[in-house]
Amino acid sequence: MSQQLTITIDGKQCTCEKGEYLLDVAKRNGIFIPTLCHHEGLGGIGSCRVCICEVVARGRSQVVTSCIYPVEGEIEVFTKNERIKEQRAIILALLHHLAPASETISQMAAFMGADLPRLADKEGGEKCILCGRCTTACEQIGTGAIAKCGRGVTKEIATPYHQPTAECIGCAACANVCPTGEITCEQTDESVTIWGKTFEYLRCSCCGEPFATREQYEFAASKRHLPADPDTAAATGQDPEPLCEACEKRATAQRLAKNSIQFVVEP
Amino acid sequence: MSKANASQSAPARQLLICCGTGCLANKAAAVAEALEAAIQAAGANAVVQPDALQLKRTGCNGFCENGPIVKIHPDDVSYYKVKPEHAEAIIASIGGEPYQALLYRGDDKQPVTRQQDNPFYAPQHKVALRNIGQIDPLAIEDYLTSGGYQALRKALAMPPARIIEEVIASGLRGRGGAGFPTGIKWQTCAGYQPTPKYVVCNGDEGDPGAFMDRSILEGDPHSVVEGLTIAALAIGAERGFFYIRDEYGLALHNVQAAIQAATAAGYLGDDILGSGRKLHLEIVRGGGAFVCGESTALMASIEGKVGEPRAKYVRSAERGLWDMPTVLNNVETLANIPYIIANGGAAYAKLGTEGSKGTKVFSLVGKVNRTGLVEVEMGATLRHLIYDIGGGIKRNRPFKAVQTGGPSGGCIPAEMLDLAVDFDSLTAKGAMMGSGGMIVMDDHDCMVEVARYYVNFLSEESCGKCTPCREGLRQMLRILTDITEGRGQQGDIELLERLANTIKDASLCALGKSAPNPVLSTIKHFRAEYEAHINEHSCPAGVCSALCVYTIAAESCTSCSACKRACPLGIISGEKGVPYSIDSERCIACGSCRDACRFDAVRPIKKERQVVAS
Repeated sequence: MSQQLTITIDGKQCTCEKGEYLLDVAKRNGIFIPTLCHHEGLGGIGSCRVCICEVVARGRSQVVTSCIYPVEGEIEVFTKNERIKEQRAIILALLHHLAPASETISQMAAFMGADLPRLADKEGGEKCILCGRCTTACEQIGTGAIAKCGRGVTKEIATPYHQPTAECIGCAACANVCPTGEITCEQTDESVTIWGKTFEYLRCSCCGEPFATREQYEFAASKRHLPADPDTAAATGQDPEPLCEACEKRATAQRLAKNSIQFVVEP
Repeated sequence: MSKANASQSAPARQLLICCGTGCLANKAAAVAEALEAAIQAAGANAVVQPDALQLKRTGCNGFCENGPIVKIHPDDVSYYKVKPEHAEAIIASIGGEPYQALLYRGDDKQPVTRQQDNPFYAPQHKVALRNIGQIDPLAIEDYLTSGGYQALRKALAMPPARIIEEVIASGLRGRGGAGFPTGIKWQTCAGYQPTPKYVVCNGDEGDPGAFMDRSILEGDPHSVVEGLTIAALAIGAERGFFYIRDEYGLALHNVQAAIQAATAAGYLGDDILGSGRKLHLEIVRGGGAFVCGESTALMASIEGKVGEPRAKYVRSAERGLWDMPTVLNNVETLANIPYIIANGGAAYAKLGTEGSKGTKVFSLVGKVNRTGLVEVEMGATLRHLIYDIGGGIKRNRPFKAVQTGGPSGGCIPAEMLDLAVDFDSLTAKGAMMGSGGMIVMDDHDCMVEVARYYVNFLSEESCGKCTPCREGLRQMLRILTDITEGRGQQGDIELLERLANTIKDASLCALGKSAPNPVLSTIKHFRAEYEAHINEHSCPAGVCSALCVYTIAAESCTSCSACKRACPLGIISGEKGVPYSIDSERCIACGSCRDACRFDAVRPIKKERQVVAS
């Protein structure tokens, strides 16, 4: 059993486990902290700095990033005092001028950003705020097809040398987690085009719906140590036929119901 | 390089030639060859027989602008700016009168024979640089003769906790910039159970103008290897890394050679001096990103990841390299360790100030008469460094400011020349110790331009991960550029301050947190200069080329033609006996003529302002 701590957030007493991230504690206690780069499935990245809070620990005050700040002691937290409001406002104004075309950022900036007309839009800036969700997702899936390239003010998200890459499996996880809609993919019933490459969809052998790209299916199969090619897999009986998520679920349930009597409790 | 045979008794005389990177660039290798040839040529007729004379190629003496430097021991004669053609005269002079033409001439123009009488060296107190310039870095025998690896022997006989106590007692604080107490860092790391643990030496020196770490790695690599080995013993690590930037070719070579020699001699490897303790060291080459000098970015880089820092809410001593307990120390910090273990922490703690013990190596550069690497006790004043050691400002111009701590340090103005320099005093003044860079500026430096220059550097060298640093610096750079080009607006100073405060507080790592220092410190001490740029569109220092042109004051001009020769556009005309003049229509205010003029006749005037669209 890990150690329980009591901390104060905006004057409210909150209990948490030692090591829990401040953002999670605040959220559980109904205290809103705005976020951009944080994603439930990916964890904290700590790059956008929108979730900053002021933490006073043992009389020392510092500004921390709540999505990656582990609570280690009895601290006092301010999520929206004057200091934090000012800094968050400036950060949102900076993001707004980095990604002037993003609706999401414009709205957030209008709501709590500073109005700083002296700042200039980034040349060529559209919607990307370089939060790193896409690269984190790509890395966690295990393909690493896109990465943050360059450094400083020229940093960008790209495939190696901006060329279509063999690593990309067309899963579009990057587009799904993008908070501003900068990453887009063109989808048809037959294919999806992303990062300069077109991928053909596989169809579910049961319902016939397109459900994954061939590369994505092969990548997942390789992770399960199955023959990469779905046709070979079907022929050897190791993986009967490509099924979409819903059909796969149904098939599994039926298999369990047929074979595993011990799971079935007779009324 | 070393041709000496350690088993022979040392020759009576040593000829030490500085072969640091600076001197090598000034043809020190050719000088060494010429000296070797001259020794052989003098042969049996010479006062000193060739076999009684040993030529040794040493590391950097720190006084690079006067290199190549040749020293003769034990006669204690030092020669400066030696060229190959001086070799014969030097050899002929040995044992007799020093060769006058190559002696250093100090402020009073009198020749100085002994190094310790040279005003550049006399006030220095060398601990970290103790062996450099005295030994051949490629000869482990030289290091052993000067007491090398004795501290390691002593440490092997001590329990780890005793080693740590000694380092804590020394009061040593990390020389990489942050000044964290080294002993406490070791103690924290030693307290964590998980293994394997790692030790890392940070040799990714990136501050423009700073070269103390390079100098130590080149000139005394064994001291750093020994320091790192002692750190490993203290925390219980069996594997360690040198992270050295790839541009430091000689440092990489010498450290590699030192690791090999130390391993062969049993000071590293599977069984250190028969103790059963292990340590294997390897070198990782840095790719040249400034941010990789930041400890967590450096570790990411060793792991093969993008060099981006992580938040330090959990310290590297607990979870560092590959998430294991890691001690990372700077080169200079580690070079101090053998001295501390050998002489005791208390001896080291006698040097320096209350909060900052020991000595510090500074790289003193810019508009001072004597530039180079200087090691002084903590607590030396800026005035002592700049005027006593540095010999004052070039051409006796007025001192304006000194930028301490590299690009993200701060500017300290003339009113604070008597500031005793240590970690805390500099931080209190909005500057920082950093790695020890000191760039001296005179009245020909525009402080807005200085701030713009550093912000430009940092905006390119930020890792670009977090918003305040990357975007804040981009916007600050744009505003500063506007100001220096005459497009400054009312409210710009206040906006710069607001951006700076957010960048300082909300950035992820120390690079971002310190990046606004040059802007905040120049606004604090030189606000009037900002206001002149914004309100009057003039640059008081006469630097910003969009705001000024140069003219020649007839009453001061001696028609020496120095300005004409310096002008890259060839737009200065004149003849003997008549004052020269500049075609101000075409002048780009590059400053070459002003720098060339010895009579202060070239002066900036405000440029007639055309309406500049924003």
